[in-house]
Amino acid sequence: MNVLVIDDSAVMRRIHRNALTEHGIPDDSIFEASDGEAALKMSAERRMDLFLVDWNMPKLDGFQLVKKLRSVSHYAATPIIMITSEAAKYNVMEAINAGVTNYVVKPIKGDVLWQKLKKYIEPGAGGGA
Amino acid sequence: MKAKYINPFLAASMNLFKEHLGIEVRSLNPFVRKDPTTLEEVSGIIGLAGETTGAVVLSFSRTTAMNIVSVFSGRSYTALTNEVLDGVGELVNIIAGNAKKDLLDFRISISLPGVIVGPATRIHWPEGIPVITIPFDSNLGSLSVNVSLKEAE
Repeated sequence: MNVLVIDDSAVMRRIHRNALTEHGIPDDSIFEASDGEAALKMSAERRMDLFLVDWNMPKLDGFQLVKKLRSVSHYAATPIIMITSEAAKYNVMEAINAGVTNYVVKPIKGDVLWQKLKKYIEPGAGGGA
Repeated sequence: MKAKYINPFLAASMNLFKEHLGIEVRSLNPFVRKDPTTLEEVSGIIGLAGETTGAVVLSFSRTTAMNIVSVFSGRSYTALTNEVLDGVGELVNIIAGNAKKDLLDFRISISLPGVIVGPATRIHWPEGIPVITIPFDSNLGSLSVNVSLKEAE
């Protein structure tokens, strides 16, 4: 299972990576991108099975990225989890309408994040689901 | 500036520092900052746009910045590295993004965070709008959240 973590903050990417590896997701199956454009490129080169997407990013933000990913046939149903500080209701509704699978507001502890993610992890993929 | 515009930033800060990071922090009385260039050495900045304009600045000393980002990231820092500055940007991003849910008068978009080290003279505050400082004491050092927001007409 390949997971793409997309966040312009290196600290946040590491926090998310740690939450995944602590629950058995292999480190080498976690990929990182610092903006939406890089994420699109990486997801075209390698099939991803789960996306963790920040909202506010340079070049291409998470909202636009979700819309672009959903227009790609093989990512039409792939779980996309938006993890963002954007807590306003209108942001949540926009993200859902754009096609996110779940919406998580930062800050979030690693264990709580895992509880929200584990149902999207294939059984046996990393031993944590 | 009305309390209803300040309280969301106070609540978001307390949630982040106290509830999420477990830092022993208490808020002190907010005040109007007469000279907004007199902030601490490290400042994380978020611009607010949309149906209002404004800025949010999280400010602390180098040591406090390192201490708090160390707790936030789970990695201990003894120097003001790029990763510490990245963490400062993320902290102010969380405060601003979380505060939006209680700022019901406006639909707001927030900018990407910027971080400056040194004199706060380079921060572009909205003209003619007071800057309200919310000071905090904590076991990791003092900090402040500074807000300038144009009120609804």
